[in-house]
Amino acid sequence: MSDIGATRDEDNLREEIAQKLKAGLKTEVFPRAETSAAVNAIIMRLREEAGANVEKKLVIGGFTDHTIEVEDIEQPCETCMYYLVHRKFCELPELMLPVEPEWSCRLWRI
Amino acid sequence: MANLLWLQGGACSGNTMSFLNAEEPSACDLVTDFGINVLWQPSLGLELGDNVKTILEKCISGEIQLDIFVFEGTVINAPDGTGEWNRFCGEPMKNWVKKLCDAAQYVVAIGDCATWGGIPATAPNPSDSEGLQFLKRAKGGALGENFVSKAGLPVINIPGCPAHPDWVTQILVAVASGRGGDLTLDEFQRPKTFFASFTQTGCTRNMHFAYKVSTTAFGQRKGCLFYDLGCRGPMTHSPCNRILWNRQSSKTRAGMPCLGCTEPEFPFFDLAPGTVFKTQTVMGVPKDLPTGVDKKGYMKLTAAAKNASPAWAEEDIFVV
Repeated sequence: MSDIGATRDEDNLREEIAQKLKAGLKTEVFPRAETSAAVNAIIMRLREEAGANVEKKLVIGGFTDHTIEVEDIEQPCETCMYYLVHRKFCELPELMLPVEPEWSCRLWRI
Repeated sequence: MANLLWLQGGACSGNTMSFLNAEEPSACDLVTDFGINVLWQPSLGLELGDNVKTILEKCISGEIQLDIFVFEGTVINAPDGTGEWNRFCGEPMKNWVKKLCDAAQYVVAIGDCATWGGIPATAPNPSDSEGLQFLKRAKGGALGENFVSKAGLPVINIPGCPAHPDWVTQILVAVASGRGGDLTLDEFQRPKTFFASFTQTGCTRNMHFAYKVSTTAFGQRKGCLFYDLGCRGPMTHSPCNRILWNRQSSKTRAGMPCLGCTEPEFPFFDLAPGTVFKTQTVMGVPKDLPTGVDKKGYMKLTAAAKNASPAWAEEDIFVV
């Protein structure tokens, strides 16, 4: 693994998140953040309610372990602007989570 | 020798401050090397009161040939179209502007306010401001759509908030040295030599734009500012990354998004809360895409580029 790839801690956390989602963690998948105002509102909730709590980040962010399609637009992590391909990591400052490319959240942006 | 007169309407003097920082050529070079005679300028003129008025009247009567009339700031029409909110030398500035533009060989509008109204003309536009020949994107302005100066050119617009000093001095030199007729202007009467390319042209973040890696905070050296921080570089016409500011940097090079200040709509979205320094999206797709790119093409390109991005594109490669 290169020094810019995922760390073991991130791999472990990614696996932990995958288990939570697979076990049916109920997250706020909808409504998607249709407008910039909606994005800002979710970001504010992440800051105020979630902080560093991973499970709350997943819930408020509306994470799924599969890709969500909305209005003919597929929204996988792998095409999102905040996704680091080689690290498999979401770099949105309020999330900062290891993810899988086929996962999805409602803050997706291209 | 070319006589130049510079007046200021509804403005902050930012373009004068910018002009005084010009380097290639400098404001002094205009006088010493290029034969420009500055009749009066708000920050440089020695005359006060009636003596200024005398200069203006002589320009209008033709006693002094007015070769170049430069205007900075908006033309203020309030209240009720009278222009009384901006009086100068005993009458509304808008009246002086009209008479001086009719007398001048060339008219040059400097900065967003003089070109299309800029920030003062943002809704609800309390001062009833407009540019010399545009109000935002609509042609007309204070002089009307069909205005041409004695040399046969419409107002030469050099927008920006402020305009880069060297754009100003280089155009003044072109006009003063008899090459005004060589200037080609775009649909918004901006000299094409400066405004045919984009702010993104020459941006050091182009590799991050290409590989779709986003900057997530101000000042980051890594990533492109377009995707999240509202940078308008890909759809703004300016040479900010070709003719650098202070000859060494630009907004985007310093980690600050381009605000699109050379375009008629500036400031965008009427400065509504949440619209500044934030890319506006609809269902995750930017509302304003790079010029000439459609939504479908943008999404295809992004997916492919992201998939192909090399590892280094995700790191800060600008090691100090």
